[in-house]
Amino acid sequence: MTTAPITVRICHLYPSLLSVAGDRGNLFALMQRCAWRGIRHSVTEADVGVVPDLAQSDLILLHGGQDREMTAAALDLAAKAGPLREAIEADAVVFAVCAGYQLLGRSYSPADGPPIQGLGVLDAVTEGGPTRFIGHVAVECDLGSGEQRQLTGFENHSGRTHLGSGAKPLGRVLAGAGNNGEDGTEGARYREVYATYLHGPVLPKNPWLADHLLSRALAHRYRDFGPLAPLTNQVEAQAHAAALGLARRPAGKWRAAAAAASRMRRSSRAPSTADGTAMRTGKARIAGKETRWTSH
Amino acid sequence: MRIMTSRPSARSLEGKAPVSPAAQARFTLALVAGKAAGTASRVLRVGGGTSFPGAVARRIDPRVLQKAAAAGNARNVVVTGSNGKTTTCRMLAALAHAGGLRVTQNRSGSNLLQGVTSATVRGTDLRGRMDAQLLLLEVDEATVRLVTPEVRTDTFLVTNIFRDQLDRFGELYSMASGLEAVIEALPASAIVVLNGDDPLVASLAPGAAARRLYYGIRTDVAGTQVPEHAADTIRCVRCQHLLSYRVVHLSHLGDYQCPECGNARPGLDVAVTAVRPSPEAGSEITVETPAGTFPLQVPLPGLHNVYNAAAALAGAMALSLPRPLEPAEARRAMAGLRPAFGRLEEIPAGERQVVLAFVKNPTAYNATLREVLRRPGRKHVLAAHSNTVVDGEDFAWLWDVDLEQLVPQLASLVISGTRAEEVALRFKYAGARPAATQVLPGRSAALDTALNGTPPGESLYIFAGYTPMRELRSIMQRRGWVPPSWKE
Repeated sequence: MTTAPITVRICHLYPSLLSVAGDRGNLFALMQRCAWRGIRHSVTEADVGVVPDLAQSDLILLHGGQDREMTAAALDLAAKAGPLREAIEADAVVFAVCAGYQLLGRSYSPADGPPIQGLGVLDAVTEGGPTRFIGHVAVECDLGSGEQRQLTGFENHSGRTHLGSGAKPLGRVLAGAGNNGEDGTEGARYREVYATYLHGPVLPKNPWLADHLLSRALAHRYRDFGPLAPLTNQVEAQAHAAALGLARRPAGKWRAAAAAASRMRRSSRAPSTADGTAMRTGKARIAGKETRWTSH
Repeated sequence: MRIMTSRPSARSLEGKAPVSPAAQARFTLALVAGKAAGTASRVLRVGGGTSFPGAVARRIDPRVLQKAAAAGNARNVVVTGSNGKTTTCRMLAALAHAGGLRVTQNRSGSNLLQGVTSATVRGTDLRGRMDAQLLLLEVDEATVRLVTPEVRTDTFLVTNIFRDQLDRFGELYSMASGLEAVIEALPASAIVVLNGDDPLVASLAPGAAARRLYYGIRTDVAGTQVPEHAADTIRCVRCQHLLSYRVVHLSHLGDYQCPECGNARPGLDVAVTAVRPSPEAGSEITVETPAGTFPLQVPLPGLHNVYNAAAALAGAMALSLPRPLEPAEARRAMAGLRPAFGRLEEIPAGERQVVLAFVKNPTAYNATLREVLRRPGRKHVLAAHSNTVVDGEDFAWLWDVDLEQLVPQLASLVISGTRAEEVALRFKYAGARPAATQVLPGRSAALDTALNGTPPGESLYIFAGYTPMRELRSIMQRRGWVPPSWKE
């Protein structure tokens, strides 16, 4: 038993290169949820050219980026590949999003441009598609406890990922596109690696996943670490419910027509009539429904 | 100055090309209907006629914008970019007016195809003639690809490219390549005005036929050496190497150089060489131009407005003004500007004051926060975001805003809009106590509660996306605190 304060050691890979859509919110969520429980944390940032001591990391973050940034990260990741693979085999927790997810797979072939070699930790192959999947997503996950949890967030990707037999999906798509818009899978898992297309800050909105990662990370460092102290999650629950509602809006079959209609309505909509009463809020939601980008 | 554009002779032929009576009748009908729709919506107080007339006119004649923009003898200027379009256009209009031009523009930030059409229809008489000598169009960066084929563009100005609503525009670079296609299609007689301090903008379409005019800031006084977190495109667009900055002025704007391939900021034609805080809450700046030195007073706070002023002056240089712009005239024109609505607009609200800030992306939000945090005292804040076609669906970008710096200065916090839950979550993780945060999705109730929480004599700061900003402003308009936006 250690007498030093409990500390979780976080390594943030490519914090400036791969951080395209508020992804740092995931780090904020982990840091705050430690702080609120009196658990200490340390954050090591490792950009291009820096090889961190991953054997001393409990939780590794690898976020999203655009194709150019992803190419630069892939070139550099070759230098970090050995220690990263070893850390993963030693059950360090890895949370990967979008481009980070693709980089952990075998390969990514963009629609235009040469293929990018991945780390191959996840048995997953990604190809760029002609269109982007953009919209709210809801996913049902079972991370081994037998309990079904709902994960919700936003996706924006052109890559279509297909999993091989060596990787499990993170969950099943309830609404949205997920890995490829076809087979109903979302994300991937291997040992303590959790990968998803839900970009931006998925952890604040899904505190159960943030806490799962934290407790696995603490178990990685302290073998006898018990359950995490509970926190009040009211604000998180409201944001989760709202995002789930957006994801599960009925898909617009007449998307183009509806978008045109809502443009017309927006043109004629008076700022002076939208004064934000409950009824008007309802109207805005209906208008939003017609602007849904993806149907699954 | 005298960067003269030769007036293309083909244009007058184009304007007088034979038109079939049916096409002419359709055009006239579209103008009549568009104008009637504008009048009706103003009289009925619905919308102020910023985009509805355009929608009506286009329904009748889909080519109405093309015909109206080609009919007159006006110089056509299109301004686009992520941030600063509205303010740059207001400044450019003031300078052009001082230089002797009559201006028609879309003034209310209504910058999609219909808003652009509305402004053009408004500026055209029923015989299809445009009285204005300058048609100044602020165009949304995703819409610009649709507008420029319809409006022959003499001057094309790009302010900057920031991360803004990726769910609408896809990736940053595809937006850049869209702008590149527009610039490549411009004739050699056109002038492209580009922000030289923005590596992505400066390198747009280097082989295009149109002439290029770069503006930027050439002083070390205002800036740091490290791009802030929300900075985009800090890699070299040619070779992907990390850019090194001699000085960073704002986000990724500054004096950059690629240590790998030598790609660097271009020489600036219009360069701000001195920035001093002005006693009037804005900045005193010195701008070197091909037409001499312009000492200007920028009446709006923040370095982003210094960029807007430089962009406007560069835009004015690209116009062939009837008489050369005198520095003293330019100074008067610029100093007389008021903020565009919702740009840290100060609104007297009875015994209190409202400061209304329109925030739509991390860079604009962070620039606004910097200004607000410079003011003394704890801050009463109303923050509102909604998911609409204009505002987008994805609010992940709120996590790139440095709200952690605002929270220690908070005196009270009210959150509103159709995505209030998302905003509340962001503020909780920035350190705001949920017990001291009120979430009221309805805009009227939120405004009342926030004002009640603000003691008399103090200011309420509103940070809002486009739609809630318009809604809150129109509530205040009905209370008689602000004039309608279309009367400005």
